[in-house]
Amino acid sequence: MTRPHLATFALIALVALVTGFVLAGQIRAQLLTPSNQLARYQALVRNVQELEAVNTDDRRQIASLRAHIDALESDAAARSAATQGLKNRLNDLRAHAGLVAMHGPGIEVTLRNGVPGPDTGGKSGYLVNFQDVQDVVNLLFVQGAEAIAVNGRRVTPLTAFSGSEGQIVIDQGSPFASPVKVDAIGDRNRMQEALNDPSALPDIRARQVQFQLHLTFEGSPSISLPAYDSSLQISHVSPA
Amino acid sequence: MRGISVWLIALLVALIATVQIRSEAEVERSLVGIDPTSLAFLIDDLHRANESLDVEKSYLDQRIATLQSGSSGAADRVLTDEADRLRALEGMIPVHGPGIVLVIDATGLTALDLQDALNNLAVGGAEAIDVNSRRVVTGVPVVQTGGGVSIDGVVVVPPWTISVIGDPTRLAEVADLMTQQLRADRRVREASYRILGDVVITSVVSQRPFVYAVQS
Repeated sequence: MTRPHLATFALIALVALVTGFVLAGQIRAQLLTPSNQLARYQALVRNVQELEAVNTDDRRQIASLRAHIDALESDAAARSAATQGLKNRLNDLRAHAGLVAMHGPGIEVTLRNGVPGPDTGGKSGYLVNFQDVQDVVNLLFVQGAEAIAVNGRRVTPLTAFSGSEGQIVIDQGSPFASPVKVDAIGDRNRMQEALNDPSALPDIRARQVQFQLHLTFEGSPSISLPAYDSSLQISHVSPA
Repeated sequence: MRGISVWLIALLVALIATVQIRSEAEVERSLVGIDPTSLAFLIDDLHRANESLDVEKSYLDQRIATLQSGSSGAADRVLTDEADRLRALEGMIPVHGPGIVLVIDATGLTALDLQDALNNLAVGGAEAIDVNSRRVVTGVPVVQTGGGVSIDGVVVVPPWTISVIGDPTRLAEVADLMTQQLRADRRVREASYRILGDVVITSVVSQRPFVYAVQS
């Protein structure tokens, strides 16, 4: 056997050996399972994206329908003083329910994810979660906030906060994640003082230290809040 | 011939290695942030949310149809009905309806505990809530004071009786989970709920005038 032949056989043997290792590794790594997992995951993501698109479109339609109703009511009010009186009282109720865009002085609070700690063992304390948002909103209401929006979603008397693992859901809106901006109209000095109080928001403050979670705020002479654009149905409640 | 075999095998190895590495990298990249279980919950939430939005659209369409009917007094009726609905929603009038009554007797529960409980009930579709004869809507201050937890400036002493109007099935699911968790808490002596066909809430909140906020 010539030297070039030996070299060729050695090369083939080496390649076969490597192939064997790769195949063995492949079988152990279960190539098909991750691929299926990926396909399933992508299907879930697509499903979420489609539902979010429907959600956005529905909320746009609701805003448009409410604007149409407002115009029709204004037309009716222009024809009757009694109707105008009803319309004025209704406008005030709508403003308190969050159904009217508002502006005024206030504060902008920003929450951002921190950094996962080296020994957190999969804990998600570095993520901004819905309880953080709920706590900030409650604090601002306690300090006299008159109207609040979170990432452009107006808070109403029926607002509920939910979510998981850094995903935040407000009422019937699509989920969102950090950064979270809470805009509130009210006495900005009072709200700033409360946010500066080291005893306020204890959980967020602890995670600021542990995970460098970000909580910043700034007063502003003019904050603009959009009108609520989702459902405010109370189908089980009747006047007593 | 042998040379071709060698190259074919080498090509195969490279192909498998590339597929494997890319597959794993893609899985890793796409899984950053949300796990599939959380995604499944999000899908469930979005389905429910979109159904609620459809109901709202139908309701608004009906109001438009009534306003466009031009019949005498139609606009006044629509405006009056909507005002009554908003007064109920904002907690300004007594209300009744199906729901649950939750009783929590504990020592040392804080305002944060009560806020969490109220938010859980809101997530479960609560449409009106009362705690120890104090009406609660989002925005009503629930504060920790030296004397305990206060709602809108009045301390509510345990046991807390939380009356809730809404879909009894959904509310019962939430109350079931809440009471299970509460009973595991050493501070809690009692946590129970009952479903009622008619829960009456007579407490009301007063509307606060806007001082800083102006309609755009």
